[in-house]
Amino acid sequence: MKTTTRSRLWKVLRNAAAVACGLVVVITLLPSKARSQLGLDPCCAMMQIGLNTISGLLRNSVASPLGSIQQSQQQSATFEQQVVFPLAAINQARNMAVQFEGQFVQMRQLFQLPIGSATLPMPQMLEQSLLSGNPGAMPQITSNYYSLYGTVMAPANAPQQVRNLVDMTDAEAQAAMKKAVEIDALANLELQAAEQINQQLQTTAPGTSTILEAETAAWLVRANAYTQSAMAELVRVRSIELANSSGQLKFSASHTATLQSTGNQVLQQGVQ
Amino acid sequence: MKTKTLEFLRNFQHQLSRSRRWLVVVVISLCLIPANSRAQGIGDLLLLLHTITTTLQGPIGDALTEMRKVNAAVNNFRQQIIWPLALISQARSFVSATRAHYTGLMSQIEGIKNNSATLALPMQLESVFRSAQSGSMGQIPSIYTQIYQPVALSGSAQPAQRNLMDIDDAMSMDSLKTAMVSDQTSQSMLTLADSLEQQAMTAAPGSASMVTAQARVADLETQAQLAKMLAAQLREEATKLAHQNALLKQRSVATQNLQNQIQQVLTHP
Repeated sequence: MKTTTRSRLWKVLRNAAAVACGLVVVITLLPSKARSQLGLDPCCAMMQIGLNTISGLLRNSVASPLGSIQQSQQQSATFEQQVVFPLAAINQARNMAVQFEGQFVQMRQLFQLPIGSATLPMPQMLEQSLLSGNPGAMPQITSNYYSLYGTVMAPANAPQQVRNLVDMTDAEAQAAMKKAVEIDALANLELQAAEQINQQLQTTAPGTSTILEAETAAWLVRANAYTQSAMAELVRVRSIELANSSGQLKFSASHTATLQSTGNQVLQQGVQ
Repeated sequence: MKTKTLEFLRNFQHQLSRSRRWLVVVVISLCLIPANSRAQGIGDLLLLLHTITTTLQGPIGDALTEMRKVNAAVNNFRQQIIWPLALISQARSFVSATRAHYTGLMSQIEGIKNNSATLALPMQLESVFRSAQSGSMGQIPSIYTQIYQPVALSGSAQPAQRNLMDIDDAMSMDSLKTAMVSDQTSQSMLTLADSLEQQAMTAAPGSASMVTAQARVADLETQAQLAKMLAAQLREEATKLAHQNALLKQRSVATQNLQNQIQQVLTHP
């Protein structure tokens, strides 16, 4: 009995040992990392082929067009730097703005030279207001004007038609004088603006100079509008002058007719 | 007891035998699992490599080729259509030729003297106010007074008439002086125009806008100066109108006075 039991126990132990040995053999035979690193693994070979293909594609399909694009970009940059926007030409244009500044200042100063020429007190006062270029001096122009040229005649001194004509003429003469002061003041502002824009031009870039050009163009439109308004005032002055000539001719004709009529009456009374 | 023990051992051996089979299956499976995973990994890798090469050949390669074509087209457009070197040179040559052609002619016209006075004093006055030298403005009043006479003395004319004479003279002289200043600044503006033209002759397409902006500023200066001349003209015209009106007022009052005096004479024979 004991022998049988021992025999069976021994068989079990032997089988277990065999299984353990088999396991050890299997584990030993399992592929290790060292093998794949040596490139012996078919997986590595495939990877190598794939990477070689990718490298070739990067060279031909990516690097070549990129190189061509870079060359084209370089050529474009060179063209722009040397032909379209050469730094020398840009600096030259900026230097011109520096030179112009002095000229502009000089011209502005020339227009500020005193030109007053009146010698008597009242004309001097009116002249001073007219040449002031100060729109705040408008009320002074009115008072100085009336002091110098007199007011509209009293109703007893002239017919109403003549008084109307005189008042209209005074009004236009004063308006023209005031407009002259306004135009002078506006011109001074335009000169200031021109100098400021010119200063900006000294540091401008080709890309931003168009903005300054647009700004100057806007000022030019404004200046032209002011010039136009001055021209309109001039036209009004001359129109009133022409109307005065016509009015005086009409008065003369009327007076002549009255004189003729009165003369006829006197002569008829003398005959009777 | 013995029988139970033997039965137990037999069952144990049977179970052990069955477990051993399972153990073998598990070991073989364990050995096979990594092999299957690796095969699966290789498949994935191949798929990935295929995807990469396809992407490089297709979207990236095609896009880059298109970019190269567009870049080349843009470059050609810029160099051959927008800024062709030949046309840039041609434009500069045109400016140069225009300058060469017109500068002399315009200088000749500018140089023509318009002085027409024949007597000494008028010649002197004309010479001064056409000199375009603001430094000579001081000479105007004395020569003007010699030609047009000074304002009448207080005993020789009514105060109102003397004022009229004085303001007329003043406005006339002011305008003559303003015209002198204007002539001088006109010459400066012509010099600036010349500089601008010279600059245009050597300007690049990119710097031309800066020269244009500069020309615009000079234009604004000219407009302002023109406005000042218009203001002077307005003053002069207004003074002339006011003068005529003042005379009318004086005549009206004088007529009224005369009428009153006649009536007085007629009522007191």
